[in-house]
Amino acid sequence: MHIPDGFLATPVWATLDVAAAPAVVYLTRRAQRTLEENKVPLLGVLGAFVFAAQMINFPVGPGTTGHLVGGALLAFTLGPAPASVVMVAILAIQALVFQDGGVLALGANIINMAIVGVLAGYLPFHIWGETRWRRFSLFAGGALSVLVSACLALAELLISGVRMPVSVLSISLALFAVSALLEGAITLAVMQALERIQPKTVRHPQPGGSPVLAFIGLTAVLLATVGVLFAAGGPDGIEKILNLHPASLHSTFLRQASAGILGLVLIYVACLVIGRVAGRPRSL
Amino acid sequence: MRHVVVDCWARGSSLLHRRDPRAKIVALLVFLIALATTSRGLPLFACGLLLLLVAALLWARLPVWGALVRAGIVLPFSAVFAIVSWLAGDPARGASLLIKSYLSALAVLLVISTTPLPVLLRGLEGMGVPHFLLDVGQFLYRYFFVISEEAQRMNQAAAARAASSWQWAVGQRFRASAGALGVLFARSYARAEDIHRAMLARGFQGRFLLLDATRFRRADLLFTAFASLAPVVLRIALDRVSA
Repeated sequence: MHIPDGFLATPVWATLDVAAAPAVVYLTRRAQRTLEENKVPLLGVLGAFVFAAQMINFPVGPGTTGHLVGGALLAFTLGPAPASVVMVAILAIQALVFQDGGVLALGANIINMAIVGVLAGYLPFHIWGETRWRRFSLFAGGALSVLVSACLALAELLISGVRMPVSVLSISLALFAVSALLEGAITLAVMQALERIQPKTVRHPQPGGSPVLAFIGLTAVLLATVGVLFAAGGPDGIEKILNLHPASLHSTFLRQASAGILGLVLIYVACLVIGRVAGRPRSL
Repeated sequence: MRHVVVDCWARGSSLLHRRDPRAKIVALLVFLIALATTSRGLPLFACGLLLLLVAALLWARLPVWGALVRAGIVLPFSAVFAIVSWLAGDPARGASLLIKSYLSALAVLLVISTTPLPVLLRGLEGMGVPHFLLDVGQFLYRYFFVISEEAQRMNQAAAARAASSWQWAVGQRFRASAGALGVLFARSYARAEDIHRAMLARGFQGRFLLLDATRFRRADLLFTAFASLAPVVLRIALDRVSA
């Protein structure tokens, strides 16, 4: 689901663009470090593969087919940071050349699909990838990557004031669930095929690391996804945001913005302290 | 294929084609932001912007009708949301979704069909985007056609073997598709390694070189000033008139 320009409210796209820029730079540096050689051609050609993979249809039921989205598959084979870089490149090319997704909304699409989607998809694999739950982790990774991206995109649209009747909302949530399960099944099947054809391309996450922290991470992803939807999807939340919008926004804009930034800083500091106390911070 | 058309358009020559990519990127961003932040008096402003874009298309000697149709790619997606907004009792927002998404797509199309992608990416690099990311993007675009054709050939071969026959159970066909995708992945991987070896053999030192260096000329400065002022002035004028 690529959000075109004109759908998001200015505060939403501007914030997400500002947030996406440093994240992309960081991930690019990290990807440059993690793969030692032939990285530019490898990432580019695998990006082209993800594009082309949409042409191979998977039967779902009578007359309906689905296709691979690919974020989780890339994370399982290349690692999370290079997979994010490939997804960013795909989204940028789609927005520029194919007018699929907006240029101002690129930050939002990158955060939804290339950053949060890929990282959320990698998380189950990181936790269970080397245990007897491996197959489940592949499936869950694929499903989670699509579910998280779709829910984030929906939440951004709702925050921007695109109104949806409850029936449409529940139908689209059901569709998200179905496509998430489908992506999980396709990712699992392709990964199993790959492990037979070319085992060296499949990653094996290093064992170790604190499973407690990983579980906390997974719970956080699930809570954030579902919570964001409820926060944005509940009629009260939208009404409040909409009521705030026309009159009181300008007078209290600075106060609201500074309160928001202060809150973010406090949460960041709290996370930092908890992370230091809970153990040596391990990055994904 | 559709996208090849844009590539052909981008190789044309006009005053707009010759402008520095950075000038066009700045003008595009100003245009998009002016459009995205408008809420009052949108229809009139949108008409003005459309005229501006059509004038630019004519100036670039591009097929106007073809470009207008091609930018309509966004309309199916926007139309779904416009209908949903309309059902939710907000037809004005539905219309603004359609107008804004179409005009934004047309503006992006105008830039991409007057600037070849390698030049555009070089312009982005000049504006601080990491070149590693841009190189990946360039590879992606170059090999998209190759890998797509491979996927199409695999589809054709599978059809020739009656893989889509309904006599097979869904599970079997699902596994067959997964196998095909796995093979496509393995082939792409091997192809990337071959490409890298070939590049090293030809003296690749970690970055692409453009044959003609781009320089920001005085004409580019003039273009940037005019193209970014035009939508802003138009909007201010319309605000004054309506106020």
